[in-house]
Amino acid sequence: MSSNVGGKSTTVTEDASGKRVRSGGGAQTSPPPRARRRGIGWAQRLEIAVLSGPALLMFVGFVIFPVLMAAYYGFYRWKGYGVPTNFVGLDNYRTILQDSSFHQALWHNGQIAVLSLVLQGPIAICLALLLNRKVRGQSLIRVLIFVPYVIAEVIVGTAWALMLQANGAVNDVLRSAGLDGLAQDWLANRSLAIWTLMFILTWKYVGFAVILFLAGMQNIPEELSEAAAVDGASYWQTQWRITLPLLGPTIRIWAFLSIIGALQLFDLVYIIWGQYVASTAGTSTMATYMVVEGRNAANYGYGNAVAVVIFFISLIIALVYQRFVLRRDTEGALTGGR
Amino acid sequence: MAPIRTLALTAVVALSALGLSACSGDDDGSDSGGTVTMQFWHNATTGPGKAFWDKTVADFQAANPKVKIKIQQVQNEDLDGKLQTALNSGSAPDIFLQRGGGKMAAMVEAGQLKDVTNDISAETKQAVGDAALQTGQVDGKTYAVPVAILPGGFWYSKDLFREAGVTTPPATLDDLNQAVTKLKAKGKPIALGGKDAWPAAHWYYFFALRACSKATLDAAAKDKTFTDPCWTKAGEDLKAFAATKPFTEGFLTTSAQQGAGSSAGLVANHKASMELMGAWDPGVIASLTKDTKPLPDLGYFPFPAVPGGQGDPAAIMGGADGYSCSAQAPKECADFLNYILTKNVQEAYYKAFNAIPVSKQAQGAVTEDYLKAVLDAYNKAPYVSQWLDTVYGQNVGNALNVGVVNLLAGKGDVAGIIQAVNDAAKKG
Repeated sequence: MSSNVGGKSTTVTEDASGKRVRSGGGAQTSPPPRARRRGIGWAQRLEIAVLSGPALLMFVGFVIFPVLMAAYYGFYRWKGYGVPTNFVGLDNYRTILQDSSFHQALWHNGQIAVLSLVLQGPIAICLALLLNRKVRGQSLIRVLIFVPYVIAEVIVGTAWALMLQANGAVNDVLRSAGLDGLAQDWLANRSLAIWTLMFILTWKYVGFAVILFLAGMQNIPEELSEAAAVDGASYWQTQWRITLPLLGPTIRIWAFLSIIGALQLFDLVYIIWGQYVASTAGTSTMATYMVVEGRNAANYGYGNAVAVVIFFISLIIALVYQRFVLRRDTEGALTGGR
Repeated sequence: MAPIRTLALTAVVALSALGLSACSGDDDGSDSGGTVTMQFWHNATTGPGKAFWDKTVADFQAANPKVKIKIQQVQNEDLDGKLQTALNSGSAPDIFLQRGGGKMAAMVEAGQLKDVTNDISAETKQAVGDAALQTGQVDGKTYAVPVAILPGGFWYSKDLFREAGVTTPPATLDDLNQAVTKLKAKGKPIALGGKDAWPAAHWYYFFALRACSKATLDAAAKDKTFTDPCWTKAGEDLKAFAATKPFTEGFLTTSAQQGAGSSAGLVANHKASMELMGAWDPGVIASLTKDTKPLPDLGYFPFPAVPGGQGDPAAIMGGADGYSCSAQAPKECADFLNYILTKNVQEAYYKAFNAIPVSKQAQGAVTEDYLKAVLDAYNKAPYVSQWLDTVYGQNVGNALNVGVVNLLAGKGDVAGIIQAVNDAAKKG
């Protein structure tokens, strides 16, 4: 980005040794970036400070500062009242890594991440393809798919928890339809609970994926599918060979958001399963573990250490994903869309 | 340059404004013009409870013209978090609801509570009695006064019991098992709010109360080791009882006190015959009946005797809600604590909250059958244990909760409960 200061796009060339070098195109005619930057006046600096200041303050105050405080508290045994005094070094971290409840929670996060990709991806792509054509009642379908995403998690959680209880509406409907055998303890049954959770997550978040994919599809030039049609490609061939590959960057970004969301999943599980049953039902996550062990057990130091662990796990996965999956997308962007 | 100067000026104004607000935010009751102002937090946001505190504070102010008390009602579930933030940030209310146990101990350790040992009047001590006063003490010093006694036991529907042919409240575990069989035949099992975990854990606590001697309970509170075989017996008793499937369907994902589908709601709507709960339950059940009036056929019986244990079969378990003064509170705070334990205020408290007042002088006003039954059990009890999760602190209490839920879910075993407690010790 910085090489764009001169107002010209950057080009990548290869020098004699084959090493890639970047150079601002037309550097001779426009003043070098450094000189321009030095030229920024007081007024402009003040403007920058005033305009970005509040956002920066908020970011430092509500993101950076809490992260640092969590790291600090994580080194203490602390009941949450007064100033922490009992420094225990890395003890909390050692306990976390040895705690089987944490291992289970991490495993559930992994399951949720993978199942989210496998379930939501194909469903969302099919729906997006459907909505990308002229269909009757298109806007109604769009609204129906997107509404769950807009509703607050708390409301979604409370509503599904009530409906899926053993004496809830879902079982009542099944029984009145004569399907008594299908009535289940949807929430507490260990082999069923994770699928109940996946159903609710899919129902809630598929709309978001559909919107992303639709936007991605609208960016694909019309001429490509027209050309394919001229060549005699069927609808499915066109989608498979043209739409899907060109949707790649969108899918990869969506998958990234989905994975990070799965790693930080908290509210739905906490509302539907509560503080304790989540771990017996097999739906606990690292975040619910953090709240149960930190807040409910009043081990605030320990809870903060868990928060730090979640932070680093998310960070590492995000960096690895950026490095190996998103790399070609971002490179393409920087080099002007190769 | 002009913008810089403006900025500097703004900064000065902003800083001095902060400074001024810091001064005016001084609510710790320092004498300004002879009057004392105190902040008071309680959790009765609506109805007769709110009216009770409004009137009590107004009466106190009338008797003490130099004292001004500002009331703030905080929703029950929000109270602990808000209070913790206020205490840590140095802007604590002067008087506030105290739940006792491990939380109170942590507040004491952090130097956030006022030691009111010498401020409690002789009349108060006499009216409350040593046993109840101990619920507000840490290392022999008083940091809170109780306002109500809330022992646990079974809250049941007399009508449903009669319809199922259960004529007398169960006095032994055998009685209870027989009653459950009859009630289940009518489709009215025991309600249990397993989602909140602590109601499930109460079952283990009561079995432990019957299995373990008082000495064992006290020793565990000190060293937090649960090696005595009675802890295992309590688990085995609970496991055997749970194996008869006495609870409502889906009890693991039923909450305790919220809405008609909760365990209290099931009792309130005659979908379940009884639940094991503390003496705040009549009020909760009343708020969940169709007309939000007290359940007319509500009854109470204490946890039945269990064969083969070291505990006294008449021992009872329960807690006590109390009120504390923060460390910076003025001395008038203790006057207020003494005032809320006077006979008239205590009688009004009982009427407002439908709970047994801690003052023995006010207990004569109790008229409801079920509250009389509670009082009867309470007065007959050779000793009263506090809720075990309160006694052993939130850390161990939380682990006990987890272990019991696992046991009832069929995931863990009795040894798992003991293991969970040991694991918890590593985290706290």
